[in-house]
Amino acid sequence: MSDKNSRIFIVVPAYNEEAVIESVIREIQSYHYSNLIVVDDGSTDRTAERLSSLDRVITLRHRINRGKGAATKTGIEAAKLLGADVIVTLDGDGQHDPADIAKLTLPILQKRADVALGTRLINPAGMPWHKIIHNKLGNLLTWYLFGLWVTDSQSGFRAYSRQAVEKINTRGDRYEYESEVIREIYIYKLTFKEIPIRVRYTDYSMNKAQKQSFCNGVRTAGKMLWKLIA
Amino acid sequence: MPTTFHLYQIIVLAVSFFMLYQGTTNFFKGKSGQTLFKLLVRYAVWGGMIVVTFFPNITFLIAKSVGIIDNINAVILTGFLLIFLMIFKLLSAIERLEQNISELTRKEALKDLPKNNL
Repeated sequence: MSDKNSRIFIVVPAYNEEAVIESVIREIQSYHYSNLIVVDDGSTDRTAERLSSLDRVITLRHRINRGKGAATKTGIEAAKLLGADVIVTLDGDGQHDPADIAKLTLPILQKRADVALGTRLINPAGMPWHKIIHNKLGNLLTWYLFGLWVTDSQSGFRAYSRQAVEKINTRGDRYEYESEVIREIYIYKLTFKEIPIRVRYTDYSMNKAQKQSFCNGVRTAGKMLWKLIA
Repeated sequence: MPTTFHLYQIIVLAVSFFMLYQGTTNFFKGKSGQTLFKLLVRYAVWGGMIVVTFFPNITFLIAKSVGIIDNINAVILTGFLLIFLMIFKLLSAIERLEQNISELTRKEALKDLPKNNL
């Protein structure tokens, strides 16, 4: 493991990912990232069992399902406790390519940015059209509510500096978490870079019930609005 | 009692009878949390709806006897406002509880952290 990678912690929230979680972790490890934290968000399938068979992985388990935002936050808290300098978050369904981790962490390690946001929409080749519309609507709402325009406000593939995660304080437990991070970047005037990433849309990732569907999108928008007035 | 019924009256009747039926069966099946008091409240609320559906003029008689006949709109508006405030408070409480649950879940998950070694 290179010295550079030893400062990087990878956080993977996972909920009912028994089919792919092993391959996702092994793929990340193949890029010589060994500080891996997987948060099993109260999975009801055999995700926990699959994770227990893996070496060199810190597995944390939510006793009950609390949502992607809550699981990501738990992973980030753990990384902070373990002394991480750079924290990368990516999804547990295999849609993110670990090859892009180096691109995301580079501006953080070079201290050119506090946060690196992976963006699918700078080069959306292969992205389903409904996902593009969905994400653009998410961007518009995020900009309207939180005041910062980014090209992919819903991407879960991001990298943070230690200083950034010390400041960022989110309340959203579910998909609104991603937009809340944008709000925190704006509030604390954190520097950020948008890095084009490759996303692998497989039948598996597209057919998962808990993914960002239209109904979930409406619910997320409702939660974002609610948190502004509540 | 009206000789013809509007659609909304039929819907109110159907819903009210269903709620009364459900409350009664729950009580007699001895389901947990079903007390006699709850059953009586249910009868008062949904039974009242049925009575008003059959005798709509009764609302005017009640308003007249209470002395609010001229201010009935203000009373209804205040009622809506109170209900809105109650819903707002309830949703805020639920939100707070959700966050507390997440925080507890997180603390419990992080307890295992020192035991793990890379």
